[in-house]
Amino acid sequence: MTTATMTSRERVLAALRREPVDRTPLVNPTSLATVELMDLVDAPFPNANREPELMARLAATGHTELGFDSIMPVFSIIQESSAIGCKIQWEQKDNWPTVKMTEPIYESPSDIDISDDWMEEPDAQCVLEAIRILRRQFPDVAIIGKTMGPWSLGYHTFGVERFLLLSLDDEAATRDVLDKLKRITIEFGIAQAEAGADAVTLPDHATGDLVSGEYYRRYLQELHQEFAEEIPIPIILHICGRTVDRMGYIADTGMAAFHYDSKNGAEESMEAVGGKISLVGNVNNPTTLYSRGAEDVKDEVRRNLEAGVQMVGPECAIPLQTPIESLRAIREAVVEYHGLN
Amino acid sequence: MPELSDVGNEFIRGEIEQFVARPDEIERMITLFSRASPALQDVAAALIDGDDEAVDTLTRAQLEAGVTALEIMDDGLIAGMALVGIKFRENFIFVPEVLACARAMKAGMAHIEPILSASGIDPVGKVVMGTVKGDLHDIGKNLVIMMLRGSGFEVVDLGVDVSPDDFIAAIEDHKPSVVGMSALLTTTMPNMGKTIDAFVDEGLRDRVKVMLGGAPVTQEFAEDMGADGYGKDAMAAVSLAKGLLGVGA
Repeated sequence: MTTATMTSRERVLAALRREPVDRTPLVNPTSLATVELMDLVDAPFPNANREPELMARLAATGHTELGFDSIMPVFSIIQESSAIGCKIQWEQKDNWPTVKMTEPIYESPSDIDISDDWMEEPDAQCVLEAIRILRRQFPDVAIIGKTMGPWSLGYHTFGVERFLLLSLDDEAATRDVLDKLKRITIEFGIAQAEAGADAVTLPDHATGDLVSGEYYRRYLQELHQEFAEEIPIPIILHICGRTVDRMGYIADTGMAAFHYDSKNGAEESMEAVGGKISLVGNVNNPTTLYSRGAEDVKDEVRRNLEAGVQMVGPECAIPLQTPIESLRAIREAVVEYHGLN
Repeated sequence: MPELSDVGNEFIRGEIEQFVARPDEIERMITLFSRASPALQDVAAALIDGDDEAVDTLTRAQLEAGVTALEIMDDGLIAGMALVGIKFRENFIFVPEVLACARAMKAGMAHIEPILSASGIDPVGKVVMGTVKGDLHDIGKNLVIMMLRGSGFEVVDLGVDVSPDDFIAAIEDHKPSVVGMSALLTTTMPNMGKTIDAFVDEGLRDRVKVMLGGAPVTQEFAEDMGADGYGKDAMAAVSLAKGLLGVGA
């Protein structure tokens, strides 16, 4: 076993640029929070989604307890939606906060009215302050923020069903919605970069479970290219589900990385992106991490490493009851594979 | 055995040719549509095309012409959705297109359901459905409910964010044969297992069959959680529910 020659931060940033690394970094573009970790550092949900000190403390456990090379403090996908006025169900320690999409705030594109100072709202400020805290405390660890894409914000503000039907019935109106909501994505991304984030995850749930790859190309590819130009730090796009049919389009956006789901094989995904974007993923959450043991986790990590995936981690935000041993097995597999601590 | 040319509606013939590949399903689609009158084929075609206004108009016209509500539902609306289900399963269409077809089906069912309810036909079975605790997504669940109702089931819709206690209360109140649970998020899927465990703790597990569904759910996960079955999509859920109750699929 030899010693690493790069810091976690250097390792992640190099992998995002598809440059050589001393070992494959462990990266979590989405949440690693669990009830066990909340108890360990006394930073429970829902407060850890609303108070920056708690948010930073819980997020840091991904590095201090699980050995990840990144820290990602934005556990949920609701911070900016809350800031612009969506109704939120904040839940308790053992459940995720959720946008009440059955009570949408917009019915038509003309309803969209986002105030100039929306980022002054506490649920947006919480994220920015948590990033500042983490930047000060962990200068050698990659700090990853999160800014939601306009397609996901469309679900939150219009409701999923209404937004998807709009996308079929009225392409011009849908483009109008996306153009109005993209301001949030860009402004929040830039603010997180200024707060000290090294990269941002950009979830935009044009998932293969809901829409086609052609939909992605038609509605989102150009917008994602625009985000890559406007946001001054590397972007990790996150889309759940089967996405091989759109990975070629995603690879052409200029974004740094794509966070991919276990419904896609590692080798076919590497082939689909053709070396134009880094991949991060894709250990299965509900079956492997949540309900199987460490050996199954290690098998999935090894499949990614053997395929040349640039960064390994869970496929998405993990269930809050995921056993800590399963999460630690991700690092163990990487260390065993590389023979490097 | 009927041939494709026995399906009079040109649009439906084209859909079968273009989107249905499995020989057993080609045979089933041809049988289904060739037995329908030209007017009911038109209802099915409008539904497949996602045209809710046309389905509304054509359904009303058929009722006024004296065609029974059951016949319009089976040979027009359900037959149309059967083809939509195949297109969705094979990734020829995605959720927006299915939602448009569902909207069209609702337009037809708005005329059919009151007549069927008043007729007093015994339901195939009773199903309690809900999206599990912490999850507010309902598109998949609503599609399953629509198809179950269209297939003769009585369905109690508990909505979204349904706690184990609420499922248990619904089992005691409504005495269903089947409980269906949905989840869209990998973070909320474990609540399916928790809910099933709560059924066991309350001594209710043997009283109901449990079926799971939702985009990230798999057969393997459903088995791990102790469910009786998994439905990949709305059509599969209907077949599963019928299978669990031992009635013809």
